[in-house]
Amino acid sequence: MSKVNVIGVGMVKFQKPGKSDPYNTMASEAARKALSDAGIGYADVQQAYAGYVFGDSTCGQRALYEVGLTGIPIFNVNNNCSTGSTAIMLGAQAVRTGTVDCVLIVGFEQMQKGALAAKWDDRTNPMDRHAGAMNDIQGFTQAPPAAQFFGGAAREYRWKYGTKRETWAKIAEKARKHASNNPYALFNERLTVEEILASDEVFDPLTRYQCCPPTCGAAAVVLASDAFVQKHGITNPVYIAAQAMTTDFASTFESGSMMNAIGYDMAKACAKQVYEQASLGPEDLKVVELHDCFSANELITYEAIGLCPEGGAEKFIMDGDNTYGGRFVTNPSGGLLSKGHPLGATGCAQATELVWHLRGQADKRQVEGARVGLQHNLGLGGACVMTMYRRD
Amino acid sequence: MSELRFDGRVVIVTGAGGGLGRSHALQFASRGARVIVNDLGGSMHGDGKSTRAADAVVAEIKAAGGEATANYDSVEEGERIVQSALDTYGQLDVVINNAGILRDVSFHKLTKEDWDLVYRVHVNGAFRVTHAAWNHMRDRGYGRIVMTASAAGIYGNFGQANYAMAKLGLVGFANTLAVEGKKKGVHVNTIAPIAGSRLTETVMPKEVVDALSPEYVSPIVLWLSHEECQETGGLFEVGGGFFSKLRWERSRGELVRMGRAVTPELVKKSWSRITSFEGATHPTDIQQSMAPIMENLQAGPSRGGNDLVDADLALGYEYPELTSSYDERDLAMYALGIGAARDPVGHDLRLVYEMHNDGFVAFPTYAVIPAMKGLIGLFQQGHQVPGLNYGIDRLLHGEQYTEVLRPLPKSGKLVHRARIKSIYDKGKGAVINTEARTFDESGDLLAINEYTYFIRGAGGFGGDRGPSAELNVPPAREPDARVEERVGENQALLYRLSGDINPLHADPSFAALFGFDRPILHGLCTFGFAARHVVGAFAKDGDPRYFKSIKVRMTKSVFPGDTLVTEMWKESDGRIVFHTKVKERDEVVLSNAAVEFYAVIPKVSGKSVTAAPAISPEPAVAQAAPAPNAAPAPGVAPAELVFLGIKAYVAEHPELVAKIQNVYAFKLSGPDSAWTLDLKNGNGSVALGAPAQADCTLEMSNGDFLDMTSGKADAQKLYFGGKMKIGGNLMASQKLNFLQKIDAAWAKEAVTKLLAEGGFGQASTASSAPPVAPPLSSGSAPSSGDTTGHAAAIFAALGKRLAEKPGLADEVNATIAFVVREPASAWAVSLVSGSVSVTAGASHADTTLTVADEDLAVLCRGESTARELYLRGKLRVDGDVGVAHRLGFLKGLA
Repeated sequence: MSKVNVIGVGMVKFQKPGKSDPYNTMASEAARKALSDAGIGYADVQQAYAGYVFGDSTCGQRALYEVGLTGIPIFNVNNNCSTGSTAIMLGAQAVRTGTVDCVLIVGFEQMQKGALAAKWDDRTNPMDRHAGAMNDIQGFTQAPPAAQFFGGAAREYRWKYGTKRETWAKIAEKARKHASNNPYALFNERLTVEEILASDEVFDPLTRYQCCPPTCGAAAVVLASDAFVQKHGITNPVYIAAQAMTTDFASTFESGSMMNAIGYDMAKACAKQVYEQASLGPEDLKVVELHDCFSANELITYEAIGLCPEGGAEKFIMDGDNTYGGRFVTNPSGGLLSKGHPLGATGCAQATELVWHLRGQADKRQVEGARVGLQHNLGLGGACVMTMYRRD
Repeated sequence: MSELRFDGRVVIVTGAGGGLGRSHALQFASRGARVIVNDLGGSMHGDGKSTRAADAVVAEIKAAGGEATANYDSVEEGERIVQSALDTYGQLDVVINNAGILRDVSFHKLTKEDWDLVYRVHVNGAFRVTHAAWNHMRDRGYGRIVMTASAAGIYGNFGQANYAMAKLGLVGFANTLAVEGKKKGVHVNTIAPIAGSRLTETVMPKEVVDALSPEYVSPIVLWLSHEECQETGGLFEVGGGFFSKLRWERSRGELVRMGRAVTPELVKKSWSRITSFEGATHPTDIQQSMAPIMENLQAGPSRGGNDLVDADLALGYEYPELTSSYDERDLAMYALGIGAARDPVGHDLRLVYEMHNDGFVAFPTYAVIPAMKGLIGLFQQGHQVPGLNYGIDRLLHGEQYTEVLRPLPKSGKLVHRARIKSIYDKGKGAVINTEARTFDESGDLLAINEYTYFIRGAGGFGGDRGPSAELNVPPAREPDARVEERVGENQALLYRLSGDINPLHADPSFAALFGFDRPILHGLCTFGFAARHVVGAFAKDGDPRYFKSIKVRMTKSVFPGDTLVTEMWKESDGRIVFHTKVKERDEVVLSNAAVEFYAVIPKVSGKSVTAAPAISPEPAVAQAAPAPNAAPAPGVAPAELVFLGIKAYVAEHPELVAKIQNVYAFKLSGPDSAWTLDLKNGNGSVALGAPAQADCTLEMSNGDFLDMTSGKADAQKLYFGGKMKIGGNLMASQKLNFLQKIDAAWAKEAVTKLLAEGGFGQASTASSAPPVAPPLSSGSAPSSGDTTGHAAAIFAALGKRLAEKPGLADEVNATIAFVVREPASAWAVSLVSGSVSVTAGASHADTTLTVADEDLAVLCRGESTARELYLRGKLRVDGDVGVAHRLGFLKGLA
C-alpha cells in the first residue's frame, strides 16, 4: 500500500456551450498542463482515467491520443456530476494498491446549451426512482428537473428553518466574489444579492443566478506513488489523506424528504468516513471545494459535511464563515455557480483548486495557511465522492 | 352515492362487438339500459362482415339478465341503426359513436382508399348515426351523444394521418352539436380514449394493452351519458386509470391597433409575446374567441406611432406619484437664479430674505421647479414612459405653462401627479405635452404645469397634428410696457442650483459639443426673468401673489451677459401678452407668451399655514395633542387628533363638567369641520359635528385652531386680531385654558388608542370587539378584485372568527398579506395582539402568502397542509416562513 500523491494538476478556462474548443482539444490541453506541472512526460503515465458524461464511448482515448500513443490502459468513467472525482478515486485505488505507480486522470465535458435532460428515452431512466420520490413529495413541473430536485430540497429546508431568500442568494454572491479572482471561471463579474434575487425565478426559491450553467471545460490530475515521487525527485507533494464514495441509501427514496432525495444522507455518511480515515475533523479544515450546483446544495452541504450544525447554515452564512476572514473558505474558485459545471471536469477542477491552495499557488484567492483541503463532489443518481487532500 | 342507473333508457353503441364498444354496451346493460349492440363484424382494417361479434355481446348481456338487440348495419347506413332502435324499443336516448377502423400507414405510402375509408367509417359514420338520431332527440328534448376521438388527432401520431384527421374532425363536429343541442337538452361530448383493443394491440406490448383495459374508459362514457351529467362540448382524455378534461389555451398575444402597419417584421418582433403563455386565457366559445378583436375594434383607430414615439402606448400614461419638499432657502435660491434682488434694498428683497418685515413671499414661477425636478429624477433612475423611446438628445423644451392656484407657501411638502396629456405629430418632429399637477399637504391642488417638449425627428407617425392657431400674438401697436435687463455673466451658474444641472449650462466643453461657444442660459431662467418683468410692470403693487399663470414658447437661446427686453401689451387687467427679445441680436427668445393675474390674492389654505408656521419650525400641534406628522393613522385630519386628545382627557377628568358647565361649538375652516365639546351634561363628551345648542361658539381657521391648542398662538391674540370669532358667552371661552394642560406624550398615546377604536368614525362608540373591518364582520363580500372565487367568503368568515376568538392573534402573532390568484384578490390579515383585523386590499406585512384561490380553499377545507402546498410550489411564502406554520386559523373557513 502506498500513499497517493497528487503531483500535477491543470485545467483550461471554462467556456459557454458552443464557445469552447472540442472536448479532445480541451482534455488534451488539460492533460498536458497537469503533466507539465508534475514535471513528467506522458511516457511516464502507466494508466489513464478519462471522465465524461456526454459523448459516445472511448472519448477518453480520442482525447489522450493527442497527448501520446503509448498503448497504456485508458478507462472511460461515467458517474454523472461526480464523474471527475470518481475517476480520481479509481486512479488513486490503482496507485494505493500498488498496481501502478503513476496515473493520469482527465475529466472533460463538451456540453450543449440548456438545462440537463435525459438523452435516452427508450429505456429505464436511471433517475426514475429519484423522480418518483420527488413526485410523491412535491409533484413534477416544467422547471428544469435538477432545479426541481435541489430547489425542492431548499423548500424543505426553508420550511424547517425559515431561511430568508437573501441567505440563499448570499451564497451566489459569495461565489461570484471569489470568482472575480479566478481567471479559469466562466463568470468573473460580481453580483449583488439584489441582482441575484431579481434574476428570473427558476424554481422557488432558486433564481437563475443561483443555478450553475451548463459549461464546457476540462481539468486533469496526475497521481503517483511514494516510490515514483522519490524517483522523480518531487518534494513535499500534496497527498490524498482520505477518500470515500457513497451511493444512495434507502432514505433517498423512502424518507419523504427532498433533502435526502438529493443526497443529504449520502454526503453525511461520506463525510463521516473521510473524517474517520484521516483522523481529522472539520475543525482542521480551512478550505473546502464543495458541490454548489445550486446555492441550495451548498447551504445543505454545509450541514451534511459538518461545517456548521444542523439548522445553523443561515447564521454560518451571515457570519461570513464561508469566506475569507471566516472559519472556512468554501469554493474559493467561485464554485460551480461561477466556474460553471462541465460534469466530467468538475471533480478534477475542484481537486486542482485545492492543490493550488495547499501549495500556496492560488494567487489572489489563496487561503492563507491552508494545509488540509476537503473536496465534495455529488452526482444525482447517485454518488457522493469526498476527498481530503493534505500537504505536510 | 346512489348507483347511476339507465333504467328505461335506450342506448346505441356502434362498433360494440369488441373492445371499448363491447365494454360500454355491457356496462350500460348492467345498469338497466336497453342496448342496440351494433357491429358490422368486419376486420379492424374495414373489410369483411359477419354477425358473430354483435351476437356474442348480446348473448353475454342477456346471460347477465340484461336487455339488448344486435344490429349488423354499417355506420355508413346509420339511419338503419337508429331505425332499429326506434323499431325495437320505441325511443332513443343515448348514442355512443364508437365504431372505427385503422389503416395506419406513413403518409408517403397512404393511398386514396386508406384516406377515404377511414373518413367514411369514422366521420361519415358518426355523422349518419347522429344525424338520424338528432331530430328524435331534439323533439323529445333529451339526448346524450358521445364521440370517440383520439390522442392521435389531438397531438398527431406517426403513420396515422388519415385517422388523426378523422378523429379531430369529430371534435369539431361535437363542438358545434353541443352548441346547437344545448337548449334542447341534447349534450354532446368527446372522449379521446387509450385502451387496449383490436385497434391498439398491434402497436403496444401485451402488458401495456392489459393495463389499458376498456373497463377504465367505459365509466366516463356512462357518466357523460347520464341524465345527471350537465357537461356538454367537453373533450376528455381517458384511459389506464387517468381521467382528464382538455381545453384550449390561448396566449395573451399581440394586439395591433387598427390602422397601424402590420408587417411580417412586426410579427417577428412580437413573436415572443404571441407565443408566450404567460397570462394565457381559455376561451370556450366563439364570443370569447372574438373578444380581443372586438376590443381592438372598440378601442378605435391607432393614434399612430413609430420607433421613437408610440402614441397608443404613451398617451394618457400616468407617472408614478412624486413627492418633494421645499423651504425658504429653495425659494430664495430660485429668486436669485432668475435675477431677483439685484438691488439688495429694493422691493425684491422679500423674495430672498426670510425675515423681511413685510413677510417673505415666494416668487410664483418657482412652481415650475419641483415637479420638473421629480420628472428629471425619474428619468435619471432609468424610468421610461412606455412608448416614448427617444433619448434626451432629441428633446427640446419648447413651451411652458405654469399656473398657481394660490400663492406658494413659504415651505411645503408636495405631491406631484404627472401624465402624458397630448402627443402631436408635427411632421418632422413630435410634440409631447406632459401635465403635472402639484398638490399640497392637505391634498389641495396648488399648481399645474404643462411641459411641452419638441422631439426632433420623431414625427411622421400618422398621429394627430394638433392645433395650429398662433396664440398670444402681440397686437400691432407699441407695447404698453417695456423692461430691459441685462442677464448676469454667472446667471446660469446660479440658476442651475435650483435643480436643472444639465452641463450645457455650466460646462464650456460640453456646450461646445452642441456648437455653442460658451454655456447657454436655461430657457426656464429666461422664463423666470420675463415673469418678473411682467409682475413688476403689471401686478397690483408689484405683488407676485396676484400672479396666476404664465405661458411661453422658447424660440432661441440666450447667453449669460445678454440683455433681455420684455415688451408687454395689456389685454385686460388680468391678462398681459408679451414677448422677450435679446437686445444685442434683436432676436425674439420668448414668443407667444402671456401672463395672467388674479383680481384678488387667492386665500391660503389653512393647513398650508400650519405646515409652515412663520414663527417656529416645530410641528404645529406638539403640546396638546400629537403632532399631525407623527399621526399613527395617515389620512386622519390633525384637528381630529386634537379632539381625540381632548376626548381622552375629558374621559379622564369628569370633574371638568362641574367646573365648566358649558357646551362649546367649534367651527373650523380650511378644511371645514364642526365639533362639539360638551362640558355640561353627564361626564362630558366630545363629538364630531355641531351641537344643537351651544353656550359658546368659536370660529377660526383650522390652522389657527391647531396653533392655539398647541400653545403656538394665544387665544386672546387670535380674538383681538380678528382671527377667531367668539359667539355666545364670551367669558365661557376663558374656561378653555385646561386645553393647555394636556400633556403631549400622554395625549399621543391616548389618541393612538382611540384611533385603533375607529377615532370619530362609526366605531367610536368604544366597542370592546377588535376593529374587524365592518364590511367583513357583517358578512357581505367586500370588493377586493374579482369576487367570484372563494377568497371573499373565506376572509369574511375569518373576520367573524376573529371577532369571536380574538385570542387567535396571540397564537399567530403576525401580520399576513394574502395575494390570491385566479381570480386575483388581496387581503391584509393582522393577527397581532391588540391589532386584529381583516381587510380587503394589499398591505405590507411580516409575511406575504401567494396562493391560487382554489388552493386557498383546499387549505381552508383541510384537504392539504400549508407545508404540502408550499413544497409543491402552490403556496409562495415571502418573509417569515415560520408564519406559514401557523395557518391553522384558516381551517374550516371554506
